[in-house]
Amino acid sequence: MIEVEGLRVVLPPDTVALYGADLTIAPGERVMIIGRSGAGKTTFLRSINRLVEPTAGTVRVAGRAVTGAGPLELRQVRRQIGMIFQQFNLVRRASVLVNVLAGRLGYVPALPSLLGRFPASDRRLALACLAQVGLADFAERRADTLSGGEQQRVAIARALAQSPSVILADEPTASLDPQLTGSIMGILKRVNEERGLTLVVSQHQLEAALEYGTRIVGFRAGRICFDGPPDRLTPAAVTAIYGEEAA
Amino acid sequence: MTRGATGIGSGRGVPRWRAALLVGLGALAWAAWDTGADPIRFVRGTPWMLDFVRRSLPPDFRVLRPALEGAVKTFEIALLGTAAAAALAVPLGFLSARNVAPPAVFYPARAALNFLRSIDTLVYALLFVAAVGLGPFPGVLAVVAYTTTSLAKLYSETIEGIERGPVDAITATGATRLQVLRYGVLPQVLPLFLSYILYRLESNIRAATVLGFVGAGGIGFYLQTYLRMIDYPAASTVLLVTIVMVMVVDFASSRLRARLV
Repeated sequence: MIEVEGLRVVLPPDTVALYGADLTIAPGERVMIIGRSGAGKTTFLRSINRLVEPTAGTVRVAGRAVTGAGPLELRQVRRQIGMIFQQFNLVRRASVLVNVLAGRLGYVPALPSLLGRFPASDRRLALACLAQVGLADFAERRADTLSGGEQQRVAIARALAQSPSVILADEPTASLDPQLTGSIMGILKRVNEERGLTLVVSQHQLEAALEYGTRIVGFRAGRICFDGPPDRLTPAAVTAIYGEEAA
Repeated sequence: MTRGATGIGSGRGVPRWRAALLVGLGALAWAAWDTGADPIRFVRGTPWMLDFVRRSLPPDFRVLRPALEGAVKTFEIALLGTAAAAALAVPLGFLSARNVAPPAVFYPARAALNFLRSIDTLVYALLFVAAVGLGPFPGVLAVVAYTTTSLAKLYSETIEGIERGPVDAITATGATRLQVLRYGVLPQVLPLFLSYILYRLESNIRAATVLGFVGAGGIGFYLQTYLRMIDYPAASTVLLVTIVMVMVVDFASSRLRARLV
């Protein structure tokens, strides 16, 4: 589903964020990416849909090339990849429904969408996605009147509205109260199981990563240093990922 | 030891501070002398001012009709000029925003805006009266000229201050550039744009009240005419109408702006 080869990213002016990562993720996997901040987790995720431009290497998603894709191809592959962010990244002044409808932008006719018009079928789909995250009654509320946990659920609904085959989640629970971690990760796990879509989550809480992942990938200083199921993550492997002081 | 060090430190600071104060006072004293600013002359002049006020009262409401017509014209000048400028400034604002325009566009655009913005509406009015003749139209052009550059600058600063996050999120859905602008950028900047437009409308109404002095139409024309005719009661009516108009617009506009942001 996701094939990454020799992914090297140099962030301007000359910070090497990734030194050439190789990773193949099969459809339906639930991958948790762990590592210290600055290890390259976010850069890795953002390279998969080219929010960050890779310096070298190739990325393919669902058999389609992401690296080297022209503007149209890139938009077509992006709409298959839902993305969830640490800061939710909702359009605060817009309604919840409009935020979810934004997930349909890659599919709907361009000109009406610029005037704020969406086909009825897309509106129904958006409402269904809101219902799936338990926010059916919130459609008309302004996004910034919602709590952090609710906003992140709206962001998940936006990603689901893309009818994606992959969801990337960059620290989806890091800005939330710890007791909300389970609720957000639970929703992500459920859509992974029910829809069979591939889930890649960067997760700073090791316990959550172990609980919700079927596969753990550890990054350290721009390199992948662990790749395996949660039960193979030994204390030694944890030390290798996080360093001595964290163990 | 410590006391000695402190003494030296403050000893260095105080003379510099004193020197700055002396230079500042010197500049002010020179400016007072050069402008002939003289409190005694001002005090001696007060009876004349009181006489002026007494001769203006009571206001002559027979000229209320032309005064109101002038006020409406001034409002129209400001409204039309601000609306045209609000639209013209949008592309200019994007072109002079650092995070949108490439440096080759951004730097010349910024420089041009700063240059044009240093010219006041009244000066533009003089230019346009010479170009298209007397009346409200050169006034509209003057308001457009100044307001376009000042709004473009405010727009560009707003665009530079937007949050990156929603833009990334909309981009990640596979949206086109225009869709990203419409759903990621516009909702962030639009309320501020509208607030700036209203603010400019307020200031333009004040600016447009004096445009009539240089022949560019509106209520200023009546004020200047009655003052020249030494018809102070009529002039005071015009002044009252101006004050009421500016206050009403300021009040309405600030109420609207408070709801926007």
